[in-house]
Amino acid sequence: MLPIDFSALLASSIHDIKNSLGALRALLAQLENIYPDPKPTELKHLNFEANRMNNNLMQLLVLYKIDLSQFSPTIDEHRAGDILEDVVAQQSTLLSLSNIELITQCDNELLCYCDNTLIGNALCTLVNNAQRYCQTKVMLSAVQEDDYIVFSIEDDGDGYPENLISSDYKQLPIIDLASGNTGLGLFFTDTIAKLHAQGEKRGFITTDNDSQFGGARFRLYLP
Amino acid sequence: MATNLTSKKILIIEDNASMRETIIHILGSLGARFLITAETGANAMTAMKIDKFDIVLCDYNLLGEKTGQQVLDDARHLKLLPVSAIFIMVTGENRMELVLSAIDNKPDDYLIKPISKDQLSSRIERCVARKNYLASIENEIDSGNFYQALYHCKQLLQSDNNMRLHLLKVQADLSIKIGDFKAAEKIYEDILYERELPWARLGLGIVAFYLGDYDQAIQTFKDLIVQYPAMMEAYDWLVTAHESQGNDDHALSLLNLAVALSPMSLSRQKKLALLANKTDNLAIAEKAYSAAIKLGKNSVRKSPADYAGLAKVYLKYNAPDEALRIVNQLNFQFQNDPEAKLSSALLETEIHTTKGNKFLAQKAYEKAFILNQQFSNKLSRELRLNMAKAFYINGNKNACDEILNDLIKTNIDDKSFIKDIVKLCDTIIGENHAIMLIKEVRKEFSEINNYGVNLFNKGNIKGALEVFENVISQRPDNKAAILNMLRIMIHELKISGPDPEKIIKAQFYINKAIEIDMPHNQISRLQTELNTLQ
Repeated sequence: MLPIDFSALLASSIHDIKNSLGALRALLAQLENIYPDPKPTELKHLNFEANRMNNNLMQLLVLYKIDLSQFSPTIDEHRAGDILEDVVAQQSTLLSLSNIELITQCDNELLCYCDNTLIGNALCTLVNNAQRYCQTKVMLSAVQEDDYIVFSIEDDGDGYPENLISSDYKQLPIIDLASGNTGLGLFFTDTIAKLHAQGEKRGFITTDNDSQFGGARFRLYLP
Repeated sequence: MATNLTSKKILIIEDNASMRETIIHILGSLGARFLITAETGANAMTAMKIDKFDIVLCDYNLLGEKTGQQVLDDARHLKLLPVSAIFIMVTGENRMELVLSAIDNKPDDYLIKPISKDQLSSRIERCVARKNYLASIENEIDSGNFYQALYHCKQLLQSDNNMRLHLLKVQADLSIKIGDFKAAEKIYEDILYERELPWARLGLGIVAFYLGDYDQAIQTFKDLIVQYPAMMEAYDWLVTAHESQGNDDHALSLLNLAVALSPMSLSRQKKLALLANKTDNLAIAEKAYSAAIKLGKNSVRKSPADYAGLAKVYLKYNAPDEALRIVNQLNFQFQNDPEAKLSSALLETEIHTTKGNKFLAQKAYEKAFILNQQFSNKLSRELRLNMAKAFYINGNKNACDEILNDLIKTNIDDKSFIKDIVKLCDTIIGENHAIMLIKEVRKEFSEINNYGVNLFNKGNIKGALEVFENVISQRPDNKAAILNMLRIMIHELKISGPDPEKIIKAQFYINKAIEIDMPHNQISRLQTELNTLQ
């Protein structure tokens, strides 16, 4: 039997699944129009899950291309506030059906050099996770710290499990089937953070349980 | 969210009925009152011809003949979108995959389906704010007033830190446009000192190209392609640099690569077809012309020249029947276009000659002869040059010279086209023929120019202006005439005092001078003088 090139096989499968998912989402949108307002919350949930899958697949594809050296980020100057605003807008569906408060904090003038699509996508997935594990609130913020812009996500949940606390994410993903969390979001964010470089400095991420609300805290540093 | 769309004219281009409903619903809740929908690209074009829209939301994957990108390309080509209009591309895909295909024209923003109300409203708000902030610059650029645009750009840069990097980019672009390459170089170098950004690096390469440092330019573009394999502008510039060095083979293989990466770009396919044809790479030319024909079919940019080019390739292949098939398509696609008619008559002449059918060849030639008499002033110069060739081959030397003379007169300042004329004459008529004609035209114009300057020196300003206006009407790209015209106009303004109408006219000639690449130091002096007269 011929050896199976699993990464190529997975990449083409992901493309297929992504197309099916696109069709699924279009059908969902049609279905949504049939229902009068107020729409059933199941619909929102369906949309949300489909969105999440799409984000995951897109991250896998980007990682695959990075692995093949076929990918370079499009880095330009962006307003950090705009990136946060995009994340909030994308999360608005979920927010409207849970009672979780998403707070953002950022200086309006704060500028950041990055690939805004990639960073927005990564933050979305992580905010998404935070919403699942928090009690009542998640805070998304951006500040300048020396030569870095730092994006933070803090929640008031139980905090990260031991195996996801900062060390070296090149070891990830640690597959923890029991908790259902594979750490893909963190691995993806760490990988694209490293693609953001300025001189000798590279982007990186940290995770700890020092949230000002007592839960998990994630930080993304971009030079 | 502060977005209020009550006063905005909005066009929604979307083939999916439920998606359309969703978007209408969202826009309605943001206060939109003037909403037009279009299901196909063709309907969208009609809508944009009737109304000037403030916001266009366009689906990328439209069913039917036109994609969203083609709608945008055609709308910009026909100038159906006001400068202040916002065009947002809505896609089911991720943005990264689309950026490659959007080459000729970029939308103001991308949105990925499904769209939420918050997303749409924040994007629109952001685009409006950006357009408003940059309006003073964009309006001047749209009118061709680059010096004024540059002025507004510097003003904004001084007043606050908003969009600093974007403004610097615009400032550098404008500096290149007016030919102030050193200023552009300084801006790019300063930016790169702060941070390595691909567009600034590209800019430095472009500056090197214009300053004549081709080795440096080529190296810069090559490095960029290695580092950013999807950066199409770097390919385009590298192609241009190789071409200007006379290295057509290098240019062709690179352009071929670029086309493989962006097969949907009509302009790049056209360029590849021309270059492949010129270098006799028939297989590549055939493929590129076929692609250009297919891409252009539903676009306003479809052109008889692509069909004619493909037919010519088949003639070179010695496949006259294939060529004839393409000519029939050409006739079918452009029923009332004189350019297409003459073009196909000329091709038929050649095809029937190849096939040895003298009678049909003669008939086709006669058809071309009559069409040329009817439409000579409506035909493209390339086609007229072909016509001159046909006249010569069929023994009508006077008619041939008549066209050549006229073409030389109107294009004497376009070096590359004059080169084409010389090349054609050298191969079919004989060396020196074109050179003689060109010499005569040059002499005639220099006498008129001298006459005008003489009138001016004698104090006859009105007479001198008339002379130069006359020269420019015949030779709109003549540098000497435009320069003399401007000097006299400014002199007159100095004597007689400010006159808004005359100032506008002088500005028009300055913009013209920038357009035809007159040296920066000459124009900037005139612009400064004109500014002090306002």
